[in-house]
Amino acid sequence: MLTVEHLQVSYGNTPVLKDISFSLNPSQTLCILGPNGCGKTTLLHALCALLPYKGTITYKGRSIATMKQKELARAFALMEQSNTSYFSYSVWDTVMMGRYQFMKKGLFLTTSKEDERVVEECLLLTQLLDKKDTPIHTLSGGQLQRVFLARTLAQDPEIILLDEPTNHLDLKFQVELLSYLKEWSEQKNRSVIGVFHDINLARSFSQQFLFLKEGKQMGFGNFDEFVTGDFLEQVYDMNVVSYMKESYEKWKTVKDL
Amino acid sequence: MKTKRNAIFIYLFTILAFLLATCIGSQLISPAEIGRILCAHFFPTEQATNLSEIHAAIFMKVRLPRTLMAFLVGACLSVSGTMMQSILQNPLASSYTLGVSSGASLGAALIILALSSFSLPGIFLPITAFVFGLLTVFLAIFFTNQLDQRMENQTIILVGMVLSLFVNAILTMITSLFSNHLQRFMFWSMGSFASTTWEQMRLILPFILVAFLLACCFTKEMDIMTFGEVQAKSVGVPIKRVKLLLITLSALLTGVCVAFCGTIGFIDLIAPHMVRKLFGPSHKYVIPFSALLGGGFMMLADLISRTILSPRQLPVGAVTALIGAPFFAYIYFHKEKGGRTSC
Repeated sequence: MLTVEHLQVSYGNTPVLKDISFSLNPSQTLCILGPNGCGKTTLLHALCALLPYKGTITYKGRSIATMKQKELARAFALMEQSNTSYFSYSVWDTVMMGRYQFMKKGLFLTTSKEDERVVEECLLLTQLLDKKDTPIHTLSGGQLQRVFLARTLAQDPEIILLDEPTNHLDLKFQVELLSYLKEWSEQKNRSVIGVFHDINLARSFSQQFLFLKEGKQMGFGNFDEFVTGDFLEQVYDMNVVSYMKESYEKWKTVKDL
Repeated sequence: MKTKRNAIFIYLFTILAFLLATCIGSQLISPAEIGRILCAHFFPTEQATNLSEIHAAIFMKVRLPRTLMAFLVGACLSVSGTMMQSILQNPLASSYTLGVSSGASLGAALIILALSSFSLPGIFLPITAFVFGLLTVFLAIFFTNQLDQRMENQTIILVGMVLSLFVNAILTMITSLFSNHLQRFMFWSMGSFASTTWEQMRLILPFILVAFLLACCFTKEMDIMTFGEVQAKSVGVPIKRVKLLLITLSALLTGVCVAFCGTIGFIDLIAPHMVRKLFGPSHKYVIPFSALLGGGFMMLADLISRTILSPRQLPVGAVTALIGAPFFAYIYFHKEKGGRTSC
């Protein structure tokens, strides 16, 4: 469904992504990992044509460069790492913005019963229905993250692109969110691509991994098939496996473990 | 319920401002007399009893066009400010940020100089100011597009500011070289409705109506754009096209006002800000109610400018700045928990 070949992105004369290639089938999930500044967010932005790029990105056999903004919005929905607005819209209005491409055209854009149903469903899933009239600036960071997740879901895209989706979320909601996204992807036969920092969390979400370092693709495929201790050390410049083992040892002090 | 109550408040405020602005002046005219004057004007066959011809002339030829122009200018500046604040995601932005007033001022200074040497019809002043104002904005957009294909907000603001400063520098040179000719320019640049005519009203009304209607068609996009360009693109807003259209509309609305009435500040910041406090940030409310509130404010500012030191008239721009600056500082800093929402 999504194929990326020899993708290159530069900011001015500085190359940020160099020769990235991978593909994704419907209902597949993919985790993008790598150290800070390796180009993860840039890759997500390039995937939904927010940035000029070289190489090819095709969605259902069609280059995304030829797709109109609304076609792109039906294919991809991006949930950014941080969202800002000076103006405090209500939770309902913010999530409804995700339905922009479905709104009835005319002299003025209007929402339909279906739009309202979808928004309500997304608020229910993100446990925000009781806060639908609350202004977003009164919410906590975690609640706000859920509002933007609800907006992304309301867009009803074929591929969801998540930039560190578990930021600001408590542990319970992190687990719930990822399990819901997996279920959403399987049931609707759609894809989710997520940028993660937490390898444990990423592993609980998907088996398919893409590792980046300094804009280069270090590896792509099934985690169990290509990831080794040496590989992770090469990506992160630290012994990730021994760190994980140390962490696990510390857990052994918990009495009922 | 709250929305309805606030809407009624704004309707009443606008009507009250209109009545005060038309009743009070060197000659007091009662609302009842205004009603009779209007009846006599629109239904001339009806016998006008106890109708003062002087009052009728003052009302129909001076006060009514002046008050209506003040309302229209206030409404246009507020709608223009609202649009620019949404596009640039900044509650302190206005189309003055992109150099409309600097360009219009340069045009006005040049034409006032020309009028002192050649005999040109008076309408040349607003037309030249309008063209120069719009040209400056288009130049800002052109340079932004050359520098940054994605037309990002910070590039627009920076280019607008640089261009404004450059145009202001030319203006300063002209005013220092030809200072003896530029008294009229100084008064024009501070803003006034003193020379408003029905002819001017007829000239600007079509521009204003079209721009206002178009603005109302893009309220959803304006809402989404306050969350930033990446989010707007991601949900499907054709951001470059919408942004260009809204900047042009905003410049058009401000350009028309500056051309006829000079530079008048603060209304475009105060009215949208107050409406957001009353109705929330949704542009389907902010656009129409900012127009009414801004129009109401401007009618009152004009009333103060022509009555407070009567028979002398103050420039209305000075009145809006004198009242607006502290008032805006108060409502801006006296806020509930809020500001930029982010996660």
